[in-house]
Amino acid sequence: MTQLRFALTADTKTFQFEIPKALRTPLDVPAILRKRQSLRTELLKQPNLMPARVAILGGSTTAEVRSMLDLFLLAQGIKAEFYESGYNRYSEDVALENPDLWKFKPDIVFIHTGWQNVSQFPEILESEEQVETRVRSEMKRFESMWEKIHSALGAVIVQNNFDLPPLRPLGNLDASAAFGHSNFLLRLNAEFAKYARSHSRFFVNDILYLSAQVGLEAWSDPIYWYNFHMAVSPTASVALAQNVAAIVKSVYGKSKKCLVLDLDNTLWGGIIGDDGVQNLILGRDHPVGEAFVNFQHYVKDLQKRGVILAVCSKNDPENAREGFSHPDSVLKLEDFSAFRANWESKPESLRAIASELNIGLDSMVFVDDNPAERALVAEQLPEVAVPEIGADVAYFAQIIEREHYFEVSQIVPDDLARSEYYKSNLQRNISLSEVGNYDDFLASLAMSAEIAAFSPVYFERITQLINKTNQFNLTTKRLTSAEVESAASDPDCLTLYGRLADRFGDNGLVTALIGRVSGDALEVNVWVMSCRVFQREMEFAMFDALVEECQARGLRTIVGVYIPSKKNAIVADFYRSLGFTPVESSPQDRRLWKLAIQRDFSARSRFIRRTAATSLPQASAPVATSSRALETS
Amino acid sequence: MTRKEFLLGIDELLGLPAGTLRGNEKLEELKNWDSTSLISVIAMIDSSGVRISPRQIVGCSTVADLLQLAQVETEPA
Repeated sequence: MTQLRFALTADTKTFQFEIPKALRTPLDVPAILRKRQSLRTELLKQPNLMPARVAILGGSTTAEVRSMLDLFLLAQGIKAEFYESGYNRYSEDVALENPDLWKFKPDIVFIHTGWQNVSQFPEILESEEQVETRVRSEMKRFESMWEKIHSALGAVIVQNNFDLPPLRPLGNLDASAAFGHSNFLLRLNAEFAKYARSHSRFFVNDILYLSAQVGLEAWSDPIYWYNFHMAVSPTASVALAQNVAAIVKSVYGKSKKCLVLDLDNTLWGGIIGDDGVQNLILGRDHPVGEAFVNFQHYVKDLQKRGVILAVCSKNDPENAREGFSHPDSVLKLEDFSAFRANWESKPESLRAIASELNIGLDSMVFVDDNPAERALVAEQLPEVAVPEIGADVAYFAQIIEREHYFEVSQIVPDDLARSEYYKSNLQRNISLSEVGNYDDFLASLAMSAEIAAFSPVYFERITQLINKTNQFNLTTKRLTSAEVESAASDPDCLTLYGRLADRFGDNGLVTALIGRVSGDALEVNVWVMSCRVFQREMEFAMFDALVEECQARGLRTIVGVYIPSKKNAIVADFYRSLGFTPVESSPQDRRLWKLAIQRDFSARSRFIRRTAATSLPQASAPVATSSRALETS
Repeated sequence: MTRKEFLLGIDELLGLPAGTLRGNEKLEELKNWDSTSLISVIAMIDSSGVRISPRQIVGCSTVADLLQLAQVETEPA
């Protein structure tokens, strides 16, 4: 039987492009303001920019924010087309359905409002109840706007929360009195946050934090307000745009996945090979040692919320491992999914780590205190993000954080288990080297898959998978969770997700597909699979379930769509490998493949046992998968 | 900042080829001149150490006005 063999990603050099220095931490704000045109021209040279339609609805003027957002989105590989509301027309544009906005069909609506846009602040001495009524009324105004954007425009919303006004007529009482303006704004912020928690396509742009980070005095300038109605100063607009771009990037699944760390003078002070574990500078009894402990805490926090950790160190492997036995080491060996301590060049080791974890080099962030190593990696592997962390551990975390590498739009349980998956992958690889024959290896994994129609409990994870997957992604269509939900409830859509487990652990939900019924044919428009389960025949198990479901619905043909992208060449011939034939008349940029469903179809999957999804919460949407497809085979 | 440096700076911030501007141009007739260019000019003048306010720059209608505002050094002919 023909078996798909995927080229691992590590040595696929995608493109050579380095983000201009002015746009990297530490940001060179005056240079960005001065050179925006030339920076833009430079950024536009990147190949394969992802298009996005962004509407900015402003409670103040938005030209400066738009200009900066344009730059920072380009720096994330996103080329935006913009719509801007008139000054302070943010709610009217939506309420009155401005035809220009409706025609524009935004993917993202960024609502750039601030404390100036609160319609009714409490009066002095108003009671808690009166203030609460004002909170409700203000929320009603915003919520009706958000709901209309979601229902009529179907766009993702990025909404500023509230910054604090520079003046406090009540002095410090402003923060504690129920009728204080600061107090009122913080209550509204809590309501915005609550709304975000229950609406998956709504994201808060936290300008309360940003304005504190920039400093309130620098955040806004009355001169700019009176002359241009700019709520945020030009300098602060840069930080604001960078923050919004980070949210948009995460919505499009372009965040980084893996943090690769050097050891000596990066995770601890000193050289383990020379100084020995007992003499490392690590621990709260030393100012530098404490900074290393805290940096390790920060790295551990990233790991806990789903960032994969790897070590890349020029060291003897035994010595390198010993460092983690230090009593003050917060990080332990088991926190790392890949561990490369050797005397090879760092670019070599990074390639090996990418290959081992089966992730792209462009998913990696490399942290090393040695500027020569950073320069070498930046030069040889421009896809890897290399923050200029400097030489002082006290600032490492701050510099990494400011680049927004790991921004996520949501955290789902699968994220938390990610490190486990990668670690068990490592065990699987070891197992493969022991078994030798690949089929024997697959058989030895004792794999079982749960394949069923999309169910509400998985909507978030499916959306995330569709938006993050680049390699095994037949069409690179990106969907919002509303679109995923709508496909799940559409009787003309066929949806399937797949979870895969084996004797080393649960891989979680790793694949999804969506097809649309047209006559007696099904057109498969979305088919993604996580790189975690490449070469496991999971795609065959999905294909078998797909055919069974089509048979159950009386369909006779499956049409597969392949849209080439920079990263999905490995699935260019995927449909051929399943027995589809190319539709000769289809264009090169949207290849169609056809398969007539045979009555006597025989399953392709050889090593995966299918299990039923009976233990799941029931889907509110019609269950597309037939009972046959759920039978164990 | 010299007059030449300033003019080259404005060329750059407007995305014009270096050496395009001579100093006598009307701002509203310049390609790419918009409200964000005003901000860029303020940032440029600011970074040369001369403090100006947006209000002053709104009153400028020619490149010569900007040169005056930026207090550029005149170079010997």
